[in-house]
Amino acid sequence: MIALLGNLAILTAFGAAIWLVAAGAMASRDGVRSRLRTPVMVLVVAALAVFVLLEIAILTHDFSIAYVADNTATTTPFIFLLASGWAALEGSIVLWGVVLAVFTFLVWRRLLAVDQLGVLALAVMGGVAVFWFGLMATAGNPFSVCTAVSGEFCSASSWWPLADAVTPVVGRGPNPLLQNHILMAIHPPMLYIGYVGFTVPFAFAISALIRGDVGRAWLDRTHRWSMVAWIFLTFGILLGGWWSYEVLGWGGYWAWDPVENAAFLPWLTATAFIHSAVVQRKRGMLQSWNFVLVIATFSLTILGTFLTRSGVIASVHAFTQSGVGPALLMFLGLVVIGSLALFGLRARDVAQVPRLDSLVSREGFILANNLLLTVFAFTVLFGTMYPLIVQAVSGSDVAVGRPFFDRAAVPLALLLLLALAAGATAPWRIATGTVLWRRLRAAIAVGLAAGAVTVATGVRSLGVVITIVLAVTIIAEIVVRFTGVVAARGEGVVAAIGTVIGNDRGYWGGQLSHVGLALVAISLATTNGLAVRDVVTLAPGDTAVVGGYCVEYLEPFTSVEPNREVTGVRVAILEESCEDQLDVLEPRINTYAGGTQPVGTPAVWTGIRDDVYIGIAGGTAASVDLNVFVFPLQWMLWAGGLVVVAGGILAAARKPSRRVGTSDVVSVAGGGSGDV
Amino acid sequence: MSERARSVVAISISLVAAAVILVGLAGGGSPTPSEEARVSELAASIKCPFCNGESLADSGSGVAADYRALIAERVASGATDAEIRQEFADNFGSSIILDTSTSPWSVALWVVPAVALVIGGAVVITMRRSAREPHEVPR
Repeated sequence: MIALLGNLAILTAFGAAIWLVAAGAMASRDGVRSRLRTPVMVLVVAALAVFVLLEIAILTHDFSIAYVADNTATTTPFIFLLASGWAALEGSIVLWGVVLAVFTFLVWRRLLAVDQLGVLALAVMGGVAVFWFGLMATAGNPFSVCTAVSGEFCSASSWWPLADAVTPVVGRGPNPLLQNHILMAIHPPMLYIGYVGFTVPFAFAISALIRGDVGRAWLDRTHRWSMVAWIFLTFGILLGGWWSYEVLGWGGYWAWDPVENAAFLPWLTATAFIHSAVVQRKRGMLQSWNFVLVIATFSLTILGTFLTRSGVIASVHAFTQSGVGPALLMFLGLVVIGSLALFGLRARDVAQVPRLDSLVSREGFILANNLLLTVFAFTVLFGTMYPLIVQAVSGSDVAVGRPFFDRAAVPLALLLLLALAAGATAPWRIATGTVLWRRLRAAIAVGLAAGAVTVATGVRSLGVVITIVLAVTIIAEIVVRFTGVVAARGEGVVAAIGTVIGNDRGYWGGQLSHVGLALVAISLATTNGLAVRDVVTLAPGDTAVVGGYCVEYLEPFTSVEPNREVTGVRVAILEESCEDQLDVLEPRINTYAGGTQPVGTPAVWTGIRDDVYIGIAGGTAASVDLNVFVFPLQWMLWAGGLVVVAGGILAAARKPSRRVGTSDVVSVAGGGSGDV
Repeated sequence: MSERARSVVAISISLVAAAVILVGLAGGGSPTPSEEARVSELAASIKCPFCNGESLADSGSGVAADYRALIAERVASGATDAEIRQEFADNFGSSIILDTSTSPWSVALWVVPAVALVIGGAVVITMRRSAREPHEVPR
């Protein structure tokens, strides 16, 4: 029954998406928004229905649905049952479709009553929806009926909703990694909202190219959408790193895994885009470049999904292989070739005389930032795809892993910090040496002094010292500039701060993000360059000293929970002298039903300076092997990441450019400049 | 404080701090990496054979711990990094080696991004040059 309803909902959404493409294309001449009301409404309602029906099937343990039988069990806790709705392959496609439908609805609501650019953009979004709901109806159908059982999972399934169903009793349960930590329920939706969000600027860009309306209207109208997508993508990546650190237990947050790269790639190009968009809005430059960046960002989100979901590259994230991969690859090809061909056709309209007065200017430094971010993205993409390229060319196997990415990323990241330090407070057009020096001199002194203090405390790592000098310079320069501007207003301090930020939220939001980025950079340097790792073997009562902390094995413990058995050890963290106890940690190994490999979960103590991170490496209760890591300033990575996100929120909340009346007022110009 | 005085103070602090950094870094370097450091570097550059994409250093599995112990043994017995990598490559195929810096294929891996950076930089510089001319022509 639910299979039938689910498939009907999918087909309805699919039909509505096609309808939206047709209606948008036909309405693009007169641009009447209300003509799209029905297809948009049907799309969003049907998409939500798909999602709700899938959740109902999961929560009621309807194991006649193959997806439910294979990815949940009667013993799965409620929150992970809920998360199973999007955690595995077919569910993730449903999530993508739902988020896209909701974005489509929100964009439609913000259209002007007569809006050629927006109406055609909605048709483009409809086209993207056609693909996702088409995929959902075929290769990625979440409502396939289970027709043969092997153990607790479906060995065969049918897309035909009225097929005779066979029902496993308990269900296989989620992949252990997906039910080991609550973050796994939150991290993917955040990333997906980020991914899907970039459909909006992409759709407006394509609409602008088709219409030949290549001015700044599409940029102005998608500014906030891009920021929202960027915020979610940033937050999603941050949560992913945190999850990796808290759950995976290998003692890190970033491994340059292909799928991590897949999330990082659109982040790099999107970050370049939100900077270059500022240059176009303020200085009229980089029109073509902005089209290229937005097309690249959208394409990379599809590539990311392809890498995650096709199993083409070995990865801890690539859970599944299926016919979804080839479909995604074809869609990716269509998007890349189609949009670049369109861009090529319009290139003459878009091309304009560049007007860079001086390389030493705000726009000059943003250009450097764009160059570095793009080359960074290209390098990561090239390194990720390189094994496939070599395989295709020569048939030999090579692996490209952390050693390459670490070595390539460090110089690029340091150059980015340098460009940021030089350019964050530089004036537009032309910055004379005198002006730059006046804005930077105090910050440079503070940055170098911070570096000297670091060296004085015994740090001898060149990379760490350079990073700290640059990062502290950036923070100091922004603080100096901010206090200077606030002081110049001559009001009360609190009122002045409010006025200054309120007058230019975009700028100060950006600067807040830069401060967060500097904090992240410091933590990246210290947790990689100064970390201490040791494997210690302890019997109960034994102690060991690692990186200035004493670790004492207290006792083993076990517990049985509905969905898993827990075997763990209690370990006390003490000061180096082994006298003052700081905390007791419980690293553990969780064994889930279904005979899959046990999953270790580390335990972390966070102090003002260091994280002490302990995971079980092996051994027995009588003699346990513990992985002990000490990560200096690890907390600064999470705090800095949150500051980056907060800056993005501040910038996105900038005052909308003035629009006459409500969104229903007819815009005379047609492709009006309302800030969507 | 006058502009000049501010500059003098900033320059003085910067010079002193830079001197401290240079002296500290030049004095305290460790010339040869310890055996332990070599083991972790090697473990990070070799894929764990049965761990789906993780390196031996990153994997928490027992297999990886065994291989790390093996590497430590080989390092202690005097084998070079290249020899140890080669042993793993001989046993599990060349794709087990994550650190490609010694493979001929790695040249393109480094050259192509570097070329991209140079070309991109050249484009940015031309943008400025072509922009300057109209400014110099009187209207």
